[in-house]
Amino acid sequence: MSNAYLTYAAKRLGQAVVVILLAYVFTFVVVSILPGDPITSVLRNPQNGFSEEEIAEIIAAQGLDKPVLVQLWHALSGFVTGDLGMSMRSNRPVSTLIAEVLPSTLILAGAGLAVALLLAMLVAYGTRFVPKKYGQGLLRGFPSLFLSVPNFVIGLVLIHLFGFQLGLFRVINPDSFWATLFAAVALGIPVSSQIAEVLIANLDKEAEQEYAAVARSRGIGQLKLFVSHLLKPASLPVVTVIALTIGELLGGSLITETVFGRTGVGSLVQRSVSTQDLPVLQAIVSLGAVVFVLVNLIADLLYPLLDPRVKILGGSKRRPTTSDEPSIGSAKAVNP
Amino acid sequence: MTDRTTLLSLSRRRLLLSAAAVTATALVATAGLSPALAADSPKDGGDITFLIDSLGDTWIPNNSAISSFQGHVWGHVTDKLLYVDAEGKVSPWLVEKWEQNDNATEFTLHLKSGVTFSDGEPLDAKAVVANLDIWYAGRKNEGINPIGLFPKTYDRAEAIDASTVKVFFQKPTLGFIPTLGYHGSILISPKSIAQPASAQADLYKTAGSGPYVVESWKEGDHVTLTKRKDYNWGPAAVGHTGPAFLDTITYKLVSEPSLRVASVQSGQADVAYNASPQELKSLKDERFTVATPRYLGFVNGWAVNTKHAPYDDVKVRQALQAGINRQEIIDTVYTPDWHLATSFIQSNVPGATDQSALLAYDPAKAQKLLDEAGWVKGANGIRARDGKELVLTIHSNPYLATSKSVDELIAQQLGKLGWKVVIRAYDVVTYGEKIRFGGAAVPTYEVTRSFIDAGTVAGILTNANNGENWFALDDRDTKINDLRDKISGAGSFDERSPLLDDLQKYVLDQGYFIPRTQIVQRIYVQSPTLKGEVYNGVAYASYYTAFIAD
Repeated sequence: MSNAYLTYAAKRLGQAVVVILLAYVFTFVVVSILPGDPITSVLRNPQNGFSEEEIAEIIAAQGLDKPVLVQLWHALSGFVTGDLGMSMRSNRPVSTLIAEVLPSTLILAGAGLAVALLLAMLVAYGTRFVPKKYGQGLLRGFPSLFLSVPNFVIGLVLIHLFGFQLGLFRVINPDSFWATLFAAVALGIPVSSQIAEVLIANLDKEAEQEYAAVARSRGIGQLKLFVSHLLKPASLPVVTVIALTIGELLGGSLITETVFGRTGVGSLVQRSVSTQDLPVLQAIVSLGAVVFVLVNLIADLLYPLLDPRVKILGGSKRRPTTSDEPSIGSAKAVNP
Repeated sequence: MTDRTTLLSLSRRRLLLSAAAVTATALVATAGLSPALAADSPKDGGDITFLIDSLGDTWIPNNSAISSFQGHVWGHVTDKLLYVDAEGKVSPWLVEKWEQNDNATEFTLHLKSGVTFSDGEPLDAKAVVANLDIWYAGRKNEGINPIGLFPKTYDRAEAIDASTVKVFFQKPTLGFIPTLGYHGSILISPKSIAQPASAQADLYKTAGSGPYVVESWKEGDHVTLTKRKDYNWGPAAVGHTGPAFLDTITYKLVSEPSLRVASVQSGQADVAYNASPQELKSLKDERFTVATPRYLGFVNGWAVNTKHAPYDDVKVRQALQAGINRQEIIDTVYTPDWHLATSFIQSNVPGATDQSALLAYDPAKAQKLLDEAGWVKGANGIRARDGKELVLTIHSNPYLATSKSVDELIAQQLGKLGWKVVIRAYDVVTYGEKIRFGGAAVPTYEVTRSFIDAGTVAGILTNANNGENWFALDDRDTKINDLRDKISGAGSFDERSPLLDDLQKYVLDQGYFIPRTQIVQRIYVQSPTLKGEVYNGVAYASYYTAFIAD
């Protein structure tokens, strides 16, 4: 590892910390501006029959009547020391709540990504090697189709078809293998479209390169050409797209989890938003920021290692010389 | 998956067997013998899954016991001192008998002996005192709230001996006894009560004395209960006191309503909670059990703000009362399982009287009243007075799914009379912040609330003793204040009943409260093989007595 590479990595890490802290403060401000809080919304449920005086007394006992800045300072100092606080809704530690739901979401997001990659690969392969008369044009339309069908629609169709009609899985046991697989399919289909789109475009570009023509002239098979010659160079930009789709996977998992009845981060977010459970929301938004920043950091750091043409240019003063080279962050490609 | 097929084929086999049994029984019957009705007698074993739309928020017993969702779990994990059935009848449970003094300020409770919590602690007089204290006061600085509907007149409770508790009130409190059967009044082990809020919020750490204990739970996902084999103190009123029949009950969260119902239809679950009223008829036709128990409480309706013009005019309020076609609401939005309102409290509440005459649909009368009040129909069909249109702004109640549909229908009905109706719908949080009884911009507040004793009603309606001042009357109406004082001072039910009748007549005649329908807030769709469940005074299903029939 070169010195420049390490400086670059350290700088990116510093930026990441700032982004996470800002995300934390931003969530606090946004949720504080909204009227209401989890404690009063429970107390105001007419079934409970509390009077306004009693509600005010309970609010004061919880410190929710203190100025917003005092509350922010309290939360922030806890966050920096690693204390995520207590959920106002459930009265349990935020870290416990997140630990309970995180594995389910990681499994779903991982499986969803795998489905998306596989699907994108198949569609991209098809667009190159399925003859025009057998619907190559149709295949090229798939990414747009995938993107335009909301994943809850896909989810509901899958549940009714495979869950209720064919009985492959039980809706009330969403963590079973089949239920997880179909949830991953529902989540993966829209995500695959972006990956497929980028892959198709790059395959088209690579296929026109001379090395591809040479390989073809040597009589190499279509599958072998795709796998051992075209796929690797065409998939470099895909790394960037995958890093960007992490956000979509996390966001999409919220809806997919609700539809399939899985208890993951998404369902925790949903419950916390509807009750304005500030400590939980702050922790989750910060966690989201951590994941997003980390994944993009990994992608950036991976890029120069994958493509020998990409060099770290160190300081920010130097500008890229051409615009069509692969570039992410401050890692720039330099033509050999 | 494979489990499912074997289950299905098993039940088919069972079906054949029972068909054979029926034939055999018929033969025996003709032979002059009288066999027992074996089909519906309870049998041990079996597991059920109850699909629910939410599992509420915190599990701190005081804060959550009243939640429409968590109440299901607490009803199986904990017991109460008294039992209140669907007709509001109070009967002994862990309190075997009780006495009160003449003016209902002192009560003596005699406890059943040998009752234990699931953590081994005895349920004795000391434990009851600890529970009464925390219901009344909570521990607010720790985040443990009082039980909102527990009488505010509570003074103290004393353990006289191991099985006798004496409870003192500052003022006459006839409502105390029925309150002991309310869903908030659940008995928790003193050890659990002593724990800090964060420990109480962990369902594993709370011990009750109920027929089931918590086997496993995951927040926002499920709670699985397993039966307590040594349970032997069920309420006599449900006809069974020993251990429960079903081995386990799983409350599983499925937030999508159609999935809940479809799962029961496809045999993947046993009970679906809160189905949409429109689906009920077809479900009944498919032979599913549909239950729409009513709770004890107010009917669904509006509390009118008497400070908000033009509803400060009694004639306008009376026109509103006569201008709503309540039968049409039931026919259009609901099913015949819903009942017409006969008062502003549900007709199954002891003390409720039939005031149907005051609630009859009479558009001619409504028109006449509005004419008299000076509201004249304009060219656009809307009535106006002094250049101001006759407007009613309704805020749909977010706690009741069908509220908006009812609002829309009423808007049509009132529209024919020349009323301009504006419907606003807010989410729960905004609604809680903005819409309050008697709020300056709130002409009518939609009520859905249960209570266990009609005596508390008068206190809620007015502003005395932290009352809620539903109609923004303050102290302006001496008649209602007089009735309130007499009702809360009544030392016996005989003395109180005629006063309650007067109150109902007066409130409806003045158009203070505009009933819509009797409320069904809990709808159950159940597999036909699950039988024997019991619904209590707050319309919760108890599966303590339930079993799976062949």
